[in-house]
Amino acid sequence: MAQLELIHISKSFNEMTAVQDFNLAVEAGEFISFLGPSGCGKTTTLRMVAGFEIPTSGVIQLDGMDLTPLPPNRRNMGMVFQSYALFPNMTAAQNVGYGLRVAGKPRVEIEQRVIEMLDLIQMHDFAERYPNQLSGGQQQRLALARALAIKPRVLLLDEPLSALDAKIRLELRQEIRRIQRQLGITTIYVTHDQEEALSLSDRIVIMRRGVIEQVGTPQQIYNFPASDFVAEFVGHINLLPVEVVQADAGVVRLGSQVVRAGQFGHLNGRPVRLAVRPEELKAGSVEGANNLTGMIESVTYLGAIVRIRVDVDGQLVSLDMFNERSLEIPVVGQPFHVNFPVEACWLTNGVKN
Amino acid sequence: MKKKNNPWAIFWAVLAMLYFFVPMLGTFIFSLRMKRGVLSFLAYQSVLSDANFLRSFRYSATMGVVTVIVSVVLLLPSVYWIYIKAPKMKPVMEIISILPFVIPVIVLVFGLIRTFGRPPFQLTLSSFGTDVLIAAGYVIISMPYMYRAIDVGMRSMDVRTLTEAAQNLGSNWFQVLTLVILPNLRIAILSGALICFATVMGELILGDFLVRPALGSYMAGVGRSKAYEPAALAIISYGLTWLCLGLIQYFSRGRSQQQLTGR
Ligand SMILES: Nc1ncnc2c1ncn2[C@@H]1O[C@H](COP(=O)(O)OP(=O)(O)OP(=O)(O)O)[C@@H](O)[C@H]1O
Ligand SMILES: [Mg+2]
Repeated sequence: MAQLELIHISKSFNEMTAVQDFNLAVEAGEFISFLGPSGCGKTTTLRMVAGFEIPTSGVIQLDGMDLTPLPPNRRNMGMVFQSYALFPNMTAAQNVGYGLRVAGKPRVEIEQRVIEMLDLIQMHDFAERYPNQLSGGQQQRLALARALAIKPRVLLLDEPLSALDAKIRLELRQEIRRIQRQLGITTIYVTHDQEEALSLSDRIVIMRRGVIEQVGTPQQIYNFPASDFVAEFVGHINLLPVEVVQADAGVVRLGSQVVRAGQFGHLNGRPVRLAVRPEELKAGSVEGANNLTGMIESVTYLGAIVRIRVDVDGQLVSLDMFNERSLEIPVVGQPFHVNFPVEACWLTNGVKN
Repeated sequence: MKKKNNPWAIFWAVLAMLYFFVPMLGTFIFSLRMKRGVLSFLAYQSVLSDANFLRSFRYSATMGVVTVIVSVVLLLPSVYWIYIKAPKMKPVMEIISILPFVIPVIVLVFGLIRTFGRPPFQLTLSSFGTDVLIAAGYVIISMPYMYRAIDVGMRSMDVRTLTEAAQNLGSNWFQVLTLVILPNLRIAILSGALICFATVMGELILGDFLVRPALGSYMAGVGRSKAYEPAALAIISYGLTWLCLGLIQYFSRGRSQQQLTGR
């Protein structure tokens, strides 16, 4: 049985629906990310789990027990805030020990636990510092240690890294995952950074306007997006208007060039688009694959990858090439051949499958 | 960089200082003239040895302390509650908090007497009842200062998130207030308390109309009947006010050492 279950959760703020019919079962030890654009209800959902918001309808269960009647201070959830929210009047050690102190734990136990937690985040040398004497990254690590010190059932993080600069963000991301694995703690991680979600999560929940669009492993989300929204929101994708030639075989025409798609549903009357990720496209022609011919429209050198846009009968098709020292960068205006396997692309008519 | 002092700025500063200090200096010198021909602290001696002065000083000081305590106990939870639960109420609270500036104290006094001096309250019958009334009056008069001080303190930290963090770690409301909110408001409350205290020490009308031995009334009385002592009293009360201001300065300097924001 799942450890944490959200069952038909909805939340409205006077007439405005922030979250709608949210269903999710989180397994013990699982790392789940909520990913979605701003205002899609990620924070609201997390706050309902923490007890800071009461669902308008639905039930949240922890180990089969209804959490609804429990106030936030009796839920035993460790929360990490975007703004750190460390207590400015307390030292690092006092911050970490706070939860045990209000729980009335004996002093020796508190001290032991504080040392243990500071070791975990490698900050034993900073025990006596006040929060304003620490860097942003250190403050957030401290906030993490403080949340973990009470041995919470579930760890909740609301965009914990978004106030930090890129390098620290990357470092801390790995540290969060390491600690999470080490403790085996069930974790919900809110972010609007797709890279964070993809690299950290066991499963990702993609949200849009208060509704779940898709739940799946990072690979499922990326390779088999359940909707155009997911496909476009996570990573880059070509979505090219095409004309259906043979609906039952997935054969379509892009401009004047024929393409066969590996996956297609019911292609009813609506306009159909061909979806394929830029990294699936290769330069050159290959027998048996989909082949397109066009003209180089632009070339963007990004270091590890080179993003090329090819004008195929008036449609712009993006393709990503890996950089190599010997790579000859294509020239704008020249004719260019690209190919991609049939299985790499699919057809969509905008209806969620 | 323009670091040279503007001569006009200096001129105006000096003028303002003169405007402020010349009368004070005059008062001070005058207060030393009680004994003909020599400068002495006789007027101060006379004031400080007056039993009535000591009585009214003690009375007002006690009232000051009571006012501070009542103000904090009333305002701290209210302001906190507004920050946490009803931020929309803030403008309303702002308006209420400046009402004492708008309504003359004399109106307040008559209102208090007419409402609470009659049955069923009849508070003015006993001196304790009157003290309760006068303390209530002081709390109202000093509310703008106390409210503002607490408000500024709350604004300097992320009250809401800190509260949620504390709750999340298992604290009940009392623990949130005493372990997290109050310690971070220490300086704000202290400065509010000192202004509050200074206000009560100088308040004239309430003590006068409710016939209680307040320092303000005493000073006014002395001013009417004597020559040198009022000057000495004025200097003493100035000194007291400045002491309070100095203490505020001193304590708020600690701010920079200690982080005050929860952000
Ligand atoms: N206390 C509130 N009162 C009214 N509306 C609210 C409240 N909290 C959130 N909302 C609304 O609910 C919706 C979802 O908000 P939420 O904070 O959950 O979004 P989010 O996904 O966390 O976005 P972001 O990535 O910007 O943090 C938003 O439209 C927001 O305006
Ligand atoms: Mg949010």
